[in-house]
Amino acid sequence: MTFKAWIRTITFYELVVGMKATMSHLLHYKPITMQYPHEKRALPDNYRGMLSLLRYDDGTEKCVGCDLCEAACPSRVIRVVSAEVPGEPTKRYSKEYYMDMTRCLFCGLCVDACPVDALGMTREYEWSVYDKRQLHLNKEQLLAIGDRSFPVREKQLELQHPNVAFFNVAFKHLPQKPD
Amino acid sequence: MANQTTETVRLMIDGISISVPKGTLVIEAARQAGVMIPHFCYHPKLKPDANCRMCLVEIERVRKLQTSCSTVATEGMAVRTATTVVNDAHKSVLEFILANHPLDCPVCDQGGRCDLQDFSHQYTATSRFAETKRIFQKEYFSPLIETQMNRCVQCLRCVRYCDEVMDVKALAPIGRGTMTEIKSFGNHPLDCEFCGGCVQICPVGAITSRLSMYEYRPWMLKRADTICTFCGDGCQITVQTKDQELIEVNSAHSGGRNNGDLCARGYFGFHAASHPDRVTHPLIRRNGTLVEATWEEALLFVAEQTNRIKQAHGPQAFGGLISGRCTNEELYLFQKFMRLTIGTNNLDSSARYGHVNGVQAMRRVQGTHRWTVTFEDIVQADVLLLVGTNITEANPITGLKVKEAVKKQEATLLTIEALQPAVGTISNITNLSKQHLCVAPSQFGAAVLGLLKAVIEGDHVDPGIRQRASDYVSALSHAVRQIAWEDLAVSTGISSDSFAQMAASVVRGRRVVVLAGQILLRSQGGYGMCLNLLDLLLLSGKLTSPGCGFAPLAEENNDQGAVEMGAVAELLPGALDLTDQDSRDRMARAWKEELPLVPGGTLIEMVDRASAGIIKSLFVVGENPVGSLPSQIRAKEALSKLDLLVCQELFLTETAALAHVVLPAASAMEKAGTFTNTEGHAQAVRPAIDPVGDSRPDWEILSAFSVFLGAPLEYGEAKEILKEIRSVIPGYGSLGPSPIAPTADPSAIDRYVTEGYRHDVAIRYTLPPRAVRQEGTVQLGLVQSLFHSGKFSTHSKGLLQIEPSAFLQMNPVDAARFALGSGDRVRLSNNRGQFITTVKVLERVPEGLAWLPDHFAQEALRLFDCVIDPDTKVPSFRTATVSVLKAT
Ligand code: SF4
Ligand code: SF4
Ligand code: SF4
Ligand code: SF4
Ligand code: SF4
Ligand code: FES
Repeated sequence: MTFKAWIRTITFYELVVGMKATMSHLLHYKPITMQYPHEKRALPDNYRGMLSLLRYDDGTEKCVGCDLCEAACPSRVIRVVSAEVPGEPTKRYSKEYYMDMTRCLFCGLCVDACPVDALGMTREYEWSVYDKRQLHLNKEQLLAIGDRSFPVREKQLELQHPNVAFFNVAFKHLPQKPD
Repeated sequence: MANQTTETVRLMIDGISISVPKGTLVIEAARQAGVMIPHFCYHPKLKPDANCRMCLVEIERVRKLQTSCSTVATEGMAVRTATTVVNDAHKSVLEFILANHPLDCPVCDQGGRCDLQDFSHQYTATSRFAETKRIFQKEYFSPLIETQMNRCVQCLRCVRYCDEVMDVKALAPIGRGTMTEIKSFGNHPLDCEFCGGCVQICPVGAITSRLSMYEYRPWMLKRADTICTFCGDGCQITVQTKDQELIEVNSAHSGGRNNGDLCARGYFGFHAASHPDRVTHPLIRRNGTLVEATWEEALLFVAEQTNRIKQAHGPQAFGGLISGRCTNEELYLFQKFMRLTIGTNNLDSSARYGHVNGVQAMRRVQGTHRWTVTFEDIVQADVLLLVGTNITEANPITGLKVKEAVKKQEATLLTIEALQPAVGTISNITNLSKQHLCVAPSQFGAAVLGLLKAVIEGDHVDPGIRQRASDYVSALSHAVRQIAWEDLAVSTGISSDSFAQMAASVVRGRRVVVLAGQILLRSQGGYGMCLNLLDLLLLSGKLTSPGCGFAPLAEENNDQGAVEMGAVAELLPGALDLTDQDSRDRMARAWKEELPLVPGGTLIEMVDRASAGIIKSLFVVGENPVGSLPSQIRAKEALSKLDLLVCQELFLTETAALAHVVLPAASAMEKAGTFTNTEGHAQAVRPAIDPVGDSRPDWEILSAFSVFLGAPLEYGEAKEILKEIRSVIPGYGSLGPSPIAPTADPSAIDRYVTEGYRHDVAIRYTLPPRAVRQEGTVQLGLVQSLFHSGKFSTHSKGLLQIEPSAFLQMNPVDAARFALGSGDRVRLSNNRGQFITTVKVLERVPEGLAWLPDHFAQEALRLFDCVIDPDTKVPSFRTATVSVLKAT
């Protein structure tokens, strides 16, 4: 052991160096603990929170019931039951749509998969519940979340939009089966 | 005749050397070499059309790219399918298609199994076109088939399939260029055979099934390869399910005997199994009503009653009926149960309604209980004689084989049928016939005799048979001489020249197949007519020639199996004679138990014995005598007298409604086993869904009964029964891709021509009685409809959309005579009763006849007389004379 090292040991030099950082913080820094729920953090723009289903400006649901989100989801959160829109032959929609949010890992793959941007990730995160069955959400609940989180809605596509990948167009004047 | 060539050519495809039969297309050769050339319009079933240009390939020493789907492989050809030039060509073809494609894959039912998707993915093709896409005005297409013409790639496969394979010609391309659109002919919704073929063959999602529209995505579906439960053709179907829900049915190309083709029943009829009216719990009659019970209660109740009746009245107080829709395993177990556990031969199956006629005739003349031909022989035949079958409606896939033989192999089709050639919404086999004799069903026998007379008197008798069995030939010659051409002409309306011409065609043929349909098999004297048709083959020397034979067509999917499993009173498994001591000993050895000696009663005999109080108890498995027999038989009264009526049923039928115990049976969608089709090919049935409710397969129920009755016939699974069947009937059910047809047994033929023919020649060779038709009446006939099969299919929502109720088919002339039009209500009556229905005017019905589809005809059955064949005990109730009156 060199003399220098011996001096450092008996004077607790390392301890002093360590405490220096502590001391300086004690003097210069303000407390960083937030008084949640009284105070809330500003979220980054790309925050991935609670999922929701969206609507077009005229109030129709965007979801076309294509099951692609179901196929994309790695943790089997989503279940889609698709069907023909009653009264609008050849138009597809999700008759039932469920998300079991207890399993969701907020990866956003479903949002990516959706061909019509019918899914949105909101900035909601306060979803702690006493009964986890409450996290099994149905279509109405998911649409409600979308309604409150995305007040500005996308415009409904026009049928004859030039060169747009149009689909799921309702044929409102489709003659019904003659009786 | 098929020009089968064994010559081969050798060519190189992408450096792989392969040798293929001469005449093979390059695209097929490539497939065999393991190289997939992208294509839209090519399909192995269709003639090359080369309209999509997707299959372009480079061929050495040929300057331009060639369409591989229309280029025949030649010796030394060198083909390249993956060069830059070829890839660019493929890419630009895709680009043109995508220029107009809506890209609505997410909502398209084809998404996930679409050729356009796959190729676009393969070539990462995108379209540079920025113009507006074409949009077609959507119109209502049909109740079961939906089109989305924006998605069409105009390959015309659907149109060509409907024309070349189905011969229906219901679809047509309308418009030009990119604006070509596939529509149904005429200004009305599609009205066709609804075979689903166009849905299956469309490479994209332009034609889809409405039945399961948007309910699934292809990757969610679980598949089960099984056999259709409707007619005797035994088509292989792939049932696709999603969480125990039946979603759709299709059939793989080159799969099964049907080669991927189906009819409306197979393609759209699958929902019958999941109908909400299914019996899902055992029911016991308590205080006059059927109430739900547990399996234990029900089985115990049956066991107690059975033991009581057996002690009091002996085993002959029991009878059993089983449906020809059950599996071979169930049919086998049923007859074993009746014969051993109960101890009676009183048992019968729905093969009794007609199929027995054909089988017994074959057994008597040629010593086989199966066809000596297969579907392949039909396709390769050069002369086909169809008697008494509207084959398109009764056995659609056998019908396709006939169409293929006529259209592709240029076979000569001869028909003896009541059907008239006419253009209609469904294909009409007589349109294809070279010579058609339009004869009323009651005179089919006369027409067959006319043909025989023409063969004998036209000196067409085969010298071999003349020499070998001169007695037989002279007996028949004598018999036909008793029949005058004038009488024949009066009976059938056919001149001797026509008969002579048809006889000459038959004799000229080298591969002659005679198909006899249900109308013949189920009519009065059906057995005799089958024998006479076999005589025809014998006399013309065709019976033993390869590729020739007699083929009675089974109506229910396992009628043939029912006979082979011994589920009829007079036959043991393997169609052995019950009265034959050797056969009895063989079975007794296999079962280690003696067989009951008393000959059993057949269907009608059992009903009679029940009404006489001799039979006290009846076990009915899926059969419905009350609903299917004419009221003259008084099945309802007879069955109400029983002390114990046990029904294993899917639905609460008329018979089950009288039962003391109803047990829920599983449908063919829910169980494993085998079915034997009309050509005698045993094929595997596999479960697609779990049994609905508490239902169990019939064999399990029978096995459980036997345990409760103290004589256990225990099996762990259906396969064990099949194993036992194989030990009793060696080699049963090869389960291979195609059946090996038996050959006619020469010793049986010898027996027949020396002695066997004698006792009923006089009866068989007399003209059937002529009905004098009075003014204001028509001859009513029960016929098979393409859209239904028995009562079972009336539970299928898809088929009910095409044909929801009974209707009377009538010729326009008759309709005019009675001042009727399509849709009018009409009252049919005779001295037995009356029946009101709706009229449909159709040109294919000949004058003086009127047809009623038999699956809705319950009410109408009271109009019919029932005649029982003295030999085969087949009840025949197919025709009645009724007067017609417009009802208001
Ligand atoms: S965010 Fe991820 S885990 Fe959650 S539902 Fe979507 S895909 Fe599934
Ligand atoms: S991917 Fe989008 S459109 Fe498709 S089912 Fe999911 S939410 Fe609906
Ligand atoms: S369902 Fe069959 S008969 Fe009807 S249009 Fe399609 S292919 Fe033709
Ligand atoms: S509907 Fe389908 S099969 Fe018919 S032409 Fe169009 S893409 Fe081809
Ligand atoms: S009913 Fe007959 S022809 Fe039609 S699919 Fe079934 S087995 Fe085939
Ligand atoms: S597949 Fe060859 S041109 Fe269409």
